[in-house]
Amino acid sequence: MQVKGMRRAGAALAVLGLLGLMLVYWMSFFWVSTEATQGIVQRIFYVHVPAAWTSFLAFGLCALTSGMYLWLRDERLDRAALSAAEGGMVFATIMLTTGPLWGKIAWGTYWTWEPRLTLTLLLWFIFLGYFMVRGSTEDPGKGKRFAAVVAIVGALEIPFIHLSVIWFRSLHPQPVVVRPEGPTLPGDMFTTLMTSLGSFTVLFVGLFLLRYALEGLRSELDARARRAAA
Amino acid sequence: MSTYLTQVRAILWKDLLIELRTRERVLAMGAFAVLSAVLFDYSIDRALVAPQDVAAGLIWMTIVFGGLLGVGRTFHLEGEDGAFRGLLMSPTPKDAVFLAKTLANFTLLYVVSLLVLGVFMLFFDLELGTSPATLVLALALGSLGFVALGTLFAAVSSGTRLGETLLPILVFPLLVPMIVYGAGATARLLADRPVAEVAGHLRMLGAFALVAVAAGSVLFRFVVED
Repeated sequence: MQVKGMRRAGAALAVLGLLGLMLVYWMSFFWVSTEATQGIVQRIFYVHVPAAWTSFLAFGLCALTSGMYLWLRDERLDRAALSAAEGGMVFATIMLTTGPLWGKIAWGTYWTWEPRLTLTLLLWFIFLGYFMVRGSTEDPGKGKRFAAVVAIVGALEIPFIHLSVIWFRSLHPQPVVVRPEGPTLPGDMFTTLMTSLGSFTVLFVGLFLLRYALEGLRSELDARARRAAA
Repeated sequence: MSTYLTQVRAILWKDLLIELRTRERVLAMGAFAVLSAVLFDYSIDRALVAPQDVAAGLIWMTIVFGGLLGVGRTFHLEGEDGAFRGLLMSPTPKDAVFLAKTLANFTLLYVVSLLVLGVFMLFFDLELGTSPATLVLALALGSLGFVALGTLFAAVSSGTRLGETLLPILVFPLLVPMIVYGAGATARLLADRPVAEVAGHLRMLGAFALVAVAAGSVLFRFVVED
């Protein structure tokens, strides 16, 4: 089964996400009003924040499915973890490139040891380790277990890393959406941000399903090759 | 419970005895630490920077690098003649094996970190500050968190083709809390600040060590299963 259905659903969602992304670009370049103090550069916000959100979602999904894989030993869970980790790497890379570009103009420097930026950089490296562990084991089963352990320990350490990097004073903008007294973001900016968050999430889910289906096909191919050899 | 403790103690004692007889790892780590301190000293231009100002950070970096050297070889000696397989096939629970290995590594690293502290005091003209006991406690908590993560990932990396090369890539991103709070506490204590100022640092180091030991005890079985 389902591999075919999954591929179709994945392709449909990915296309939908890309269309949404085009809408987001149009909105953030032509529709939304310019922010008063930062000017035009603030428009990168509509890519930066959704990319960060999506990468955290993906890494969280990876840690969750990794934990469940160690528990239930279902190959599908490992495939889901791998697909989520790859998606997370892509969106974390987008976040790590748009952040410094924005920072150079808004803060006057490409890089600061700002908590959220640092946390994403470290996450990026934790998941680099995840892929290196997977790639450098002869026995695939071992690689899956090792990688799952890396993802789980990474997820457990995140609160500590987050708290410790906050010790360096934050230059980062304070939350503007999730606040007890409601969003402070003006209406059109809020709409653009939400459109972008939605598009990024749909795009990620689409890519995730495509990747997951591909991994399924690959393991089926392996199984067939083994049967043919036997 | 008492069987469990006996098992932990037996493996711990075996590892420490091997180390006492061969002195391989502790000697390598110690020599590395002293030599690093020498190089660090030459890397500082005393006309521009007071060595005391950067000593706290360098002490912790020396412990991390020296520690990786020894912790990375946790499973080497036993791996060579299949002794580790025998240990895993014994009825000892895997978490007991992990705890014993972690405690053995902790003993080695703690000895080395006290040596590092002594060497830096000698080379960098440091005074121990108001509370040497607190300083020594901070080193203990930091080392414990480090060896717990190090032992778990040494088991991971020694099962890969890359071996020890992989260890720093897996461990370093997770060590940020240990460096921030450990070096922070050390810098404050060396600068004669009141002990109350580092209470928060010590709590965080303790929590970090606790989570690392707990995570390692639970996850170690998945790394060594066959």
